[in-house]
Amino acid sequence: MSVRLNPDLLPDLLASIQKSEQNENIATQELSSGRTANSPSDNPAAAAAIVLNHDQTSQDSQFLRNISALQGRFQVADSTISNVVEVLTQALSLGTEGANGTVSATDRQAIATEVQGLLTQTVGLANTTYQGAYLFGGTNVNAQPFTVDSTTGAATYHGNPNTTSVEISNGNSITANVPGDQLFQNANGSVLGALQDLYTALNTGNNMPTAVSEVQSALSQLDVQRVTYGNALNQINLSESFLNQDQLNLSQQENTLEGADLSVVASNFSQAQLADQATLSATSRVLSQKTLLDYLA
Amino acid sequence: MGSLSASLNIATQSMLAEQGAIETSTNNIANANTPGYSRQVPNFEEAGTIQIGTLTFGTGVQLGSVTSLRDAVLDLRVNQETQQQGQLNAFLDGGQQIQELFNETSGTGLQAPLSAFFNSLSELASNPSDLTTRQNVVTSAQNLATAFNQTSNNLSTLQRNTDLAVQQSVSQVNSLTAQIAQVNQQVVAATKTGENAGPFQDQRQQLINQLSNYIDVSEIDAGDGGLTLTTSSGSALVVGNQSFALSTQANPATGLQDVYANGADITSQISGGALAGQIQIRDQEIPSVQNSLDTLAYNLTTSVNSQNRAGFDLNGNAGGNLFTPLTQAPGAAASVTIALTDPTLIAASGTAGLGNTGDNSNANKLLALQNQDIVGGQTPLSYYSDTVFKIGNDVSSAQTTEQAGSQTLLQLQNLQGGVSGVDINEEAANLVRFQTAYQASAQVATVINTLLQTTINMVT
Repeated sequence: MSVRLNPDLLPDLLASIQKSEQNENIATQELSSGRTANSPSDNPAAAAAIVLNHDQTSQDSQFLRNISALQGRFQVADSTISNVVEVLTQALSLGTEGANGTVSATDRQAIATEVQGLLTQTVGLANTTYQGAYLFGGTNVNAQPFTVDSTTGAATYHGNPNTTSVEISNGNSITANVPGDQLFQNANGSVLGALQDLYTALNTGNNMPTAVSEVQSALSQLDVQRVTYGNALNQINLSESFLNQDQLNLSQQENTLEGADLSVVASNFSQAQLADQATLSATSRVLSQKTLLDYLA
Repeated sequence: MGSLSASLNIATQSMLAEQGAIETSTNNIANANTPGYSRQVPNFEEAGTIQIGTLTFGTGVQLGSVTSLRDAVLDLRVNQETQQQGQLNAFLDGGQQIQELFNETSGTGLQAPLSAFFNSLSELASNPSDLTTRQNVVTSAQNLATAFNQTSNNLSTLQRNTDLAVQQSVSQVNSLTAQIAQVNQQVVAATKTGENAGPFQDQRQQLINQLSNYIDVSEIDAGDGGLTLTTSSGSALVVGNQSFALSTQANPATGLQDVYANGADITSQISGGALAGQIQIRDQEIPSVQNSLDTLAYNLTTSVNSQNRAGFDLNGNAGGNLFTPLTQAPGAAASVTIALTDPTLIAASGTAGLGNTGDNSNANKLLALQNQDIVGGQTPLSYYSDTVFKIGNDVSSAQTTEQAGSQTLLQLQNLQGGVSGVDINEEAANLVRFQTAYQASAQVATVINTLLQTTINMVT
């Protein structure tokens, strides 16, 4: 005798209806969200990786915001130094003119006044602020870095010799400032000192050639110092393209982790739909199946 | 020599027996859709013989008994599988609610506030003297604290709801064991008098199966048709006609309800049914996630505080705590708050005094905590990421087991149906058979009747 089967087919049929409807549901959810992992349990490893992926993406965005703020600051600093270079070039030609023996004492004094104006202008440039903070005061950004004695023309530095370092991508930092004394009162060529000496020399008529050569060495020293900003700008530009690429990679990784392959999902969906319809039609037939009783009447 | 009246008797007896069989089939058809019903079969028996002279005659047929067809071993296996499914379903019910609090793919969870906090420190490092930037640090620290508080509170709410569910399960168990004790007594009584105890057994199996949804049940055959039910750890639930109610009692340490049987705490011994799943969620899963959150909150705020104290604020003074200091990890996530609202008090500088407002060395150190192993030997985000993995993995493996289990249960129920289920076609065939036999017996009675008439007419 054969094994007696469960005469009630309904539980099996209901289970398969449930299964195919569940598949349909999953496919619909994946289609509408575009993701295969909609809950941590769908793919626990991907869910954990997504946390780190989103964190890295958000860090990168912050680095990019830092970079754009630094770019602004560096551009202001660099153009300020350009202005100082122009001032020095002007001072150099005034000095050369004053050093000429044919210039009268009165004319020399007039030139001296002009140089004094240049000195004031330079100090003004050295006191440049960016977003309320002094650019050239070291880390002392809330106090004016340079003041000038109005009678002697001697400049005093109130800042400090400290630099700050800012991270512009993971583990990669740059120096974000050059202290004012290093820029404008460098021992190898002091911008403010040279201008002061030139002013004194023009006033007195003494030491003119020395004063002019001081301006020259200040000019070349400023060029050396300014390279720091140029390099920093290059470095953050490199970082910027690295970060953009990294964000692209991260978003691709995110897509691999949880993104749904739409063609696969769409075919899953139609398969589930087909299976569901087949089960439903089978169920309806089973439910309306005739029994022996129908034939006995 | 046999007698005509004996033959008439056999024919009428036969009609009675077939009538009983027809009734059995009719009852089977009527109960085809009754949950828990086991089909019944009529057992025809040959009636005793009679000795007349040297000849032995049969005395016809009798309906000896009607028995319900059931397989006690299958019943037991169905109950066991039901216990496992009950546990898994209750666990999944809670687990899915937990994981929705950490559904990072849809943006809920702690990753965003954690990243935002460190990003605000990154921005601070790039512009340490700017007040807006500093305010942003305070705001994102506040948001982080709120996120910790909310997630922890949601977990606590879930825990309290699960605690209520435990109490409801216990009262379901009690109501079912009381009913089972009653039916158990009816089975014993019916078995004693030799009646068909089947219908009572159907009812009892149905109730035990319902009970299996809630708790792990062991069945011991008492020998008299009765069953003794205990939990798998041996606490009595039903003995004979008596049921033993479980009770709940608040645990003074946790405030959650412990389950007691006959005065003993059996909370941690319940190994099946919804109760086991609910207790697992309430006493293990939620506390474990809560513990991870607490460890994260405690270690992160402690490290940030000590680094902020190591630096100097915008006024040149030594920094204080950014978060209100926590004394211990337990409860940390629920209670973390920020300790300062004045943005100038963020200690970005590494040097004392007013001359270093542009110094960012301490801000850099605060930011560096992001990549340091300050939480359980991991960075804050890796630790959190591991927590998300554990939650997802627990739910995912329960889902896998549940799916396999529901297949097994379906197969077992099919096997059970194979033994006990009513097949309309089979019943119809039997009905026709019994009908034919009844008609034949009736015809025989008519023939005997004619013979008797003939005999009577012979006399007159």
